[in-house]
Formats: sequence, C-alpha cells, structure tokens
Amino acid sequence: MTATDSQDEFTPATVAELSRFMRENSTDGRRSIVPVGGRTALNYGHSTPEDSLRVSTAQLQRVIDYPARDMTITVEAGIRMDELAKTLKAENQRLPVDVAQSQRATLGGVIATNTSGPRRFGHGTMRDYVIGISGVDASGRHFKAGGRVVKNVAGYDLCKLMVGSLGTLAIITQVTLKLRPTVASSALVWMIFPKYASIDEVLESLLASQTRPISVEVLDPKAADHVSSDARCQLPNQSPVLIIGFEGSDSETQWQIETLEQECAEFKPAATHVLNRKDADSVWKSLTEYATWSDDPLTFQANLRPSKAIEFIERATKLGVAVQAHAGNGTVVGHLSDEASTLESCQSILDELRQIARASQGNLVVLRCDDDWKAALPVFGEPEDAWPLMQRVKAELDPNGILSPGKIWKGHQ
Amino acid sequence: MSLSRDLIQRFQQIVGDEGVLYNPEELLVYECDGYVVEKKVPDVVLFPTCQQHVVDIVKTCNEFDVPFLPRGAGTSLAGGTLPVGGGVMITLTRMKQILEVNMRDRYAVVEPGLVNVHLTQHLAGSGYHYAPDPSSQGACTIGGNVATNSGGPHTLKYGVTVNHVLGVEAVLPDGSVVQLGGPVEGSPGYDLTGLFVGSEGTFGIATRVYVRITRDPVAYRTMLGVFETVHDATQAISNIVGAGIVPAALEMMDQGIVEALEAAFHFGFPLDAGAVLLIEVDGLEVAVNEEAQRIVNLCEQSGAREVRKANTAEERQLLWKCRKQAFGAIGRLSPSYCTQDGVVPRTKLPEILEFISESGKRHDIRIVNVFHAGDGNIHPILLFDERDKEQIERVLKSSDEILAKCLELGGSVTGEHGIGVEKIDFMSKLFEPDDLAVMADVRKAFNPMGRCSPQKMLPTAGACGMEHIEKDHPGRRAAM
Repeated sequence: MTATDSQDEFTPATVAELSRFMRENSTDGRRSIVPVGGRTALNYGHSTPEDSLRVSTAQLQRVIDYPARDMTITVEAGIRMDELAKTLKAENQRLPVDVAQSQRATLGGVIATNTSGPRRFGHGTMRDYVIGISGVDASGRHFKAGGRVVKNVAGYDLCKLMVGSLGTLAIITQVTLKLRPTVASSALVWMIFPKYASIDEVLESLLASQTRPISVEVLDPKAADHVSSDARCQLPNQSPVLIIGFEGSDSETQWQIETLEQECAEFKPAATHVLNRKDADSVWKSLTEYATWSDDPLTFQANLRPSKAIEFIERATKLGVAVQAHAGNGTVVGHLSDEASTLESCQSILDELRQIARASQGNLVVLRCDDDWKAALPVFGEPEDAWPLMQRVKAELDPNGILSPGKIWKGHQ
Repeated sequence: MSLSRDLIQRFQQIVGDEGVLYNPEELLVYECDGYVVEKKVPDVVLFPTCQQHVVDIVKTCNEFDVPFLPRGAGTSLAGGTLPVGGGVMITLTRMKQILEVNMRDRYAVVEPGLVNVHLTQHLAGSGYHYAPDPSSQGACTIGGNVATNSGGPHTLKYGVTVNHVLGVEAVLPDGSVVQLGGPVEGSPGYDLTGLFVGSEGTFGIATRVYVRITRDPVAYRTMLGVFETVHDATQAISNIVGAGIVPAALEMMDQGIVEALEAAFHFGFPLDAGAVLLIEVDGLEVAVNEEAQRIVNLCEQSGAREVRKANTAEERQLLWKCRKQAFGAIGRLSPSYCTQDGVVPRTKLPEILEFISESGKRHDIRIVNVFHAGDGNIHPILLFDERDKEQIERVLKSSDEILAKCLELGGSVTGEHGIGVEKIDFMSKLFEPDDLAVMADVRKAFNPMGRCSPQKMLPTAGACGMEHIEKDHPGRRAAM
C-alpha cells in the first residue's frame, strides 16, 4: 500500500500490485471494491455498501505506446482526459468524444460510465474507439481483449462489455484507442425558434440536408440561458434553441454554415447566430459540461427515438425540467427544478417522462440525486429484457459480488 | 453422430418436410463454408422461416442433447459454420425479410438471412445505405456479418459491422428469446449487442438485427495510384495514414493480382507496375478535391509513377467491381489458393509485405496480394495445386509463418474473417490463459451447456467429445 492509502482506499502503484491485492481479497475478507478514477461520476448508479474499499487508478497513468503514424495510442486507464488530449494534440490527433470535467475525469472512468456529449452524433461513442482493453477482475485475473490494431476480430470483444460497465465487472487498467485527426475548424449555428414544432420540422429536414452535421442539439430556454452565460456569449435564449455543429476544413465548415442557413430559411428561425473559433469552443464546452452542471435536486438522462425527442422536451419543460437534447441521437439530459423538492414530486415527474421514453422503446436513467432518494427510485429505469442475461454475465465474472455490488441492480450482487 | 428418426420427425413437424435435409448427398453442400480445408457433414440441415421455428429447433436440440449451429450463406473464410462433431445446422437463408426501415430514426430491422447488398439496394434513392460492405456482399447475409463482425473496403472510414448494429434479437442456446439493444441508442446496462457481434455463433442465433443506416456521401473521388514496387506503394499508405488522412477506402493490389484482373475485366490496369493503390475519398463536394489532391501529392512523394482518376461513375464502379471480384479472377493464376487475414499496425505494412515475399521465395510458393491496406489488414493469397501434397505442406508453413510475423509486429491473426476453426490454434499465442478464461466465463453466461457452435473461437471450447479433424490441405476459398 502507498502513502495515500487509508482504510477506505487503496492506490496500487502497478497492475501487478492491483492484481495481487484483488486475488487476496477474493479469498480473504471479500470486501466490496469500488474502482475510482477522477471521481467525477461516483454518484452515478445505486449506492454501493458503505464499508466498500475504493481502489484508485491514480497511479496508473502512463502512456505505454503512442505510434502516432498508426493513429492509435495505448495508455493506462488512470490518465486524465485533458492530459490525454494534450498528448494527442501534439500529433494533431484526438479522441472525438466529449467529456465533462475533463481536467479530472480519467479514461477508465469515461469508459466505465460510457460518457459522451454533443459530438456523438457525428463521431459515435467510446465503443467506437476502444480497440484494446486490459483489466483486473474480482478474483485478480489480469486479462486483456482486442489488441493494438484498428481492425481485429480475434476473441470476444470484451472492450464493448467494459464500456458502460460502471466498475461492476473489472477494474480497467489499460486501453488502446483508435484516433482521429484534429480538424482545422469547427463552428456552431445557434438558431432560436418561436415554437418546438418548427424545430421538429428542421430536424426532419436535416435528414435530407446537403450538410453533414457533427452535432444536433436542442435546448429549452432555461438550458439555453445557462449554456449562453456559462460560455460568456450573449446568445438569444428566450425561446427554444437548435444548435447545429460542423467540423472540417475551413472551406468545408463555411460552406456547410451557408448551406444550412439557406436550407433552414423556410422554417423561419427568429434569430440565427454563427459561432466560430473561440466562441464555438466555449459553447461546445458548455454543452459538454451541461450534464454535470446543477445545484438542482436531480439529473436524468433519457434515451428515446430521435423522432420523439421534441415531444419529450415539450412535456419535460412543462414539468419545469431544464433540458438539453442530443436530438440527433435521441438522448435527453434534464435537470429537475428546485420546485420538485420532494421525492414524491420527483417521482411523479420521472414516471411521466419515463413512460414517454418507454413508448418509443427507450428508457430513463437517473444520473444524479441524493442517495436517500435513489433507494426509492428506479435509477436505471424500467427493467430491460436483457437484464437477467447481464446479471448472468456479472455472476460469471464476479461470482462473489465483490465489484461495485448493487451499483446497477439494487440488491443483486 | 447420427440422429434418430424420432428427432428428424420432430424437426419435420417444426419446419415441414421442405425445411429438412438429411440425405447424405443433399448434406454434402453443407460440409464446409468458404474455408474448405476442414470438412464435416452435419447430420441434418434445417431451414426455419420464423423466429418460433428457431426457438422450437433449439429447444428440441437441448431435449435430445445434440449440438447445433447457425449458418448464413456459408461465405465464412475461417470455418465459422463448420459443424464440428456433426449435429444440427440451422440455415437462416429463408429468413430474409426487411421488417422495417425508419428513415427519421435512421435504422432498419432485418432478418438474419437477408443478403447484405439487398439492404443497400432496397435503400437506393433514399439518400441512405448500409455501410459495411464485405467483398462477398452480393452473397453473404447480415446475420453472418453479425456473427463475424465483417469488414469491407469502406470500413476504413465508416467502421465495421459492430459500429452499425444497434441491437439484436436472439434465440439463446437454451431456446429463450432476448432482445439486446434495439432501435434506440444507449439502453441501460451492459452493451451485450457489442459483445454479441463477432461471437461467431457461440452466443446464440440472431433472428432479428437492428442496423444503423448511413447517409450517402455527396461526392466521391476515386483514384488509382500506380507504383513501381510494392515497397513504394506500402510507403505511400503509411504516409497517407501518417498525415492524418482517413480515406473512405484504401486498397492495395500487387502485380500478380493486377495481371489476373486485367485478363478478366480489361480495365486497362498497367501490367508492368509493381503495385497499384485503389484510393477513394468521399464527403462534401467542397472538400473532396482538396483531400484527393493531398493524397495525389503524398503518392507522388512516395514515388508513384502516376495517379489516375476515375472520371465517371461507370469507371468508379468498374474499379470497385475489379477489386471486389479479385478473388474470383485468381482461378486464372492457379488451380487452388488460400488466403490469410492478418493485421499489422499500418506503418508496418512495408515490413510485412517484404516478409510475405521472402516467405514465398523461401517455400517456393507464389503469393499475390490484394488487401485493405488502410486498415493494415493483409490478405496474402498463396497459390498452389492441391494435387501436390508436398506443395500443400509448404503453403501451410508459409501461412503460419506470415501470421506469426503479424503477431510479432504487434498485430492480429484476423481482421475480419474470424477465428472459426482455422485459427483456433493461434488464440493461445494471441492471448494469455487468463484472457481466455475470462472469455470462457463470458461465454458460459450465454451458452452454459456448450451445445451452440461447439469447438469454436476458444481453444478450450467444446462439449460432446469431438473428434479431431486432421488439417492436411489448404483449399480454394471464396471471395473475402
């Protein structure tokens, strides 16, 4: 154990040390273990047993191999996202997944929570970039899957299994990523519309647009006000906002902005602002941070068909929820307002919204709220058909329920 | 193993007489897929036409304790559909409906037996297509693509099958039905869809696949870079990727393959060139010229003799036809051939190509190359005459040597064809015992009895005391 360790926390210096520790724990004591990275999302999921031991990846943050000309990198999972981005930028490369609190968040944590942001519409999510993974499971087995090449079908794709596993299957120790080149420019077109119905028409028309957006965001006035002031940009936000993001060469971005403006003219936006360079960067960042911003009692994320996003947003805003939608993907983040100050009022809002999501084969997950409330809420939404099978996977890999027990399925290992 | 009359009758009750094959001469067709080195005739072949048939078949197999496995069009190049130890083959080619296309939510729902290209044909004119385009796309099925996580030339930019599958409805090995993922992104819990894709039929039988549909590019620029030597061509690939350019496709063909293609298609390929690169960029009209020009410059700096451009849509189509039918043209070069599907980091292409050439010389085997260069996914084609036993031994030695070299260079033994039975011996070279043990545990969650696709993927696999099938000759294989 290292100097930073306490009764509640262990920070292994090497993977071998971690592996040994987990092996011993699995036979002796069997204390529950909660892996931690940058601690930006510890609140996510059900609470774990109070006497759990946190295992931190803080000392596992080396760059193992960066063959930049192959456009892949292999790093330890405790590396901070900003640090990773800096390393990649030096070679004009990037991992195009938006991560909030990136100065603290670690790659391992981002994978475990399957974090993403506005750019997921154009670039996908972590599952599209993790090509190799290593981890240590509850019994101390140090295993790997995938590899260091961009195309590889040897063995089961445990990379996919680890993405979004919330520290319940293994402690992620090392990751190989496929990378993308940086782009010369990015821009956002911020448009406000008097009615949500007009935005729905624009979203429909985008399916045949000549442009290729990287992000399609919809904000209600409350969320728009927050994003606009957080980014220190004076942007109109008195009515619903649609923000379309583009990336590419200068000429590509410019052409797309102009084309989009022409295409959208028939839907009569009340105002259109084009954000370039610094302003664009600030708004991208605020849009990325939105999910983690809040003093409000509860934050949720709903997933539904993109075609139902506007219906959902309209209903949510009527219930006082501040909403950001990655509308192209059908992902909606909502902060409940202070007015929903009791568990009962939150429950009734979430029940109603969850039903809208369920009606389109989606669901609704509580990202953050008070631990006491979680006990009473269906944190991961209504049961999915595949949950029993997932629980069997968990039981095979962690038969004694050591890793983050109960995190996803309350009362289940 | 031979199945009882009682069992055959049960199957006939499920799928009807027309859905059951059990006469030895009818079964012969199913003794192998595109990998013909190892052969085994199934005891019975069944043709379900709906999910309920699959459920009933699987439950009956469990009741009678017989192994079973799914099969699509049988284009697998690694023996993924070889019925090791016999048993029941469930062929899904009669389940080929497109169940739904939802443009607004950008997905389609299809049955597993749908031929890959039929989906894109169905979408033609809508502005959307299904992106994964294996060279066998005119024959292979989407269910098979899901099983092997198929690639194709354009997966360089657009990603392989798993990047386009949103969900799978599957009959698990115990006969229960489960939906993994679905039309909506991000359902809570583990990404079992991502895990299922590429599981080579060992996790169950997909009966419904939810796929993402992709916008068509507005513009293409398709080029043919002509190089004096293979080395110059691979250097150009390395320089293009190294410059941070991700073309839509980047394929290499060496002199041997170009010769065969020219004889077959009369495209006008330069017969004296050491290698050609087929390069395509796509995207917005405003962007493609700039990107194409950067590629032309990089090719020229790497010593290209010339870079030709496809001037019309017809020329582009012909170029792609040549590429995708390259394996078909090999019949002009030799009576038999086999190919390997190794992957190396892209900057190691010059090294592996040199090694392949040396290995060919060392074993006196002619090897030609046509492959997905942008991904570092090689496909050396070893030419031989299968009547010559001694030559066959040399081919096998050279194949193994090439794959071992891929591993040494930090790569993998399969980029898109799968492990199947062909490369199962390499798994313990690629992975440590703990890696394989974890994978075996994961499989146990899906397939605890091991009756579904036994003896596949993992070297420790299997149930039912299978006999060892002697690997004595490499064979002729279908298109990649």
